Amino acid sequence: MSELIYNFAVWVDDTPWSAMLHESYYMYNWVESTHVLTLMISLGMLFLIDLRMLGWAFPDVPASKIADRLNIPMMVGFTVMFITGILLFYAVPVRSVQSIWFRIKMVLLVGCAINAYLFHKRMNESVSSWDNEAKAPQRIRNGAMLSLGFWTVVVICGRFIAYDWFDCDYPQPAFIEFVAGCVDGQTRF
Amino acid sequence: MPTSILGPYFRTIVTVAVIAAALVFSFTYARDGVYVEIQPLFEWMETTWFGYVGKTWGAAFATIQAGHLIGLAVLGGCVLVSDGRLLGVVLTDVPHRIVVDRADAVFRWALATLLLTGIFMACGVAMKIYYLPVYWYKMLGLACGILFHYYVRRPLVAHELGSINPIVLKMTAIASILVWFLVAATGRWIGFSG
Repeated sequence: MSELIYNFAVWVDDTPWSAMLHESYYMYNWVESTHVLTLMISLGMLFLIDLRMLGWAFPDVPASKIADRLNIPMMVGFTVMFITGILLFYAVPVRSVQSIWFRIKMVLLVGCAINAYLFHKRMNESVSSWDNEAKAPQRIRNGAMLSLGFWTVVVICGRFIAYDWFDCDYPQPAFIEFVAGCVDGQTRF
Repeated sequence: MPTSILGPYFRTIVTVAVIAAALVFSFTYARDGVYVEIQPLFEWMETTWFGYVGKTWGAAFATIQAGHLIGLAVLGGCVLVSDGRLLGVVLTDVPHRIVVDRADAVFRWALATLLLTGIFMACGVAMKIYYLPVYWYKMLGLACGILFHYYVRRPLVAHELGSINPIVLKMTAIASILVWFLVAATGRWIGFSG
């Protein structure tokens, strides 16, 4: 499996646009900056929705209004982050797929998506009975806490990707090599 | 009384004058004397506990950086919601007053998070940032942002919003978004420098 992922990453790395993007100082930095600064739209809106459910923000604004109205800018933000994230991966594919932080981040993003789906489903089922309450019911608050926790770790992992503590081009413990998917005799890092 | 001479915009005019003076100070040779004077402060910052932790444990530094980013995200969210409401693009069916006041309550915590994590990060790389022009641009932007928020925008929107010229309100909202975007963008630029 690790070899398959590595070979895929090498194939992506060999495409001319990948090298061009990676080597383009300004373009790469523009993409990375857009990825980071869009946090203000995507996570900014998401955190305000979560904080509303916990009763820590906009307690006197109906929860459904906050969730509905902030959902659109939040999704626009996440779309930009998703596109720029793919471009960042495209520019540095091999190191990315073998970064344990990148892998944890991807797993957590799946967790975030599942949590968001369940959160909205539960909210839509019951919101009419607590819409004007300062705090949402416990189940919804748990979802909001989980969302805050997941996204906080996603941001931490995103930040950690920049560090080379567990990169495959350094000798690593067997466990780290397994988790990172290092391949014996690999020539590309 | 100066208040009577300058009318209801006394604080706003004084704040704009302070921001203008700070800009003139920053972009002329006037700053050079002060710049040398504050070097010992930055040397001292590296010797503090924050500086020691920031320099010694990369993971701690990166985690605090992530906290800084989360603070930025929440602050950005508050600014966009509050100013978006003034511009009439977000939460248009909720009264201005509620959106602006409630967003401001969260903004305060986000700003406190940004300042605390920012001080920690600055201690870890104090001498590096001391020599980075973009760090000073960010500090200037941050000072302008805080002054603008608390001494221009907040007093303005404390009035009955219906009594304020809509163009003034919209210009204030746009200026607020731009100044905080500038702070965030210069912060990101620090990462590419040095």
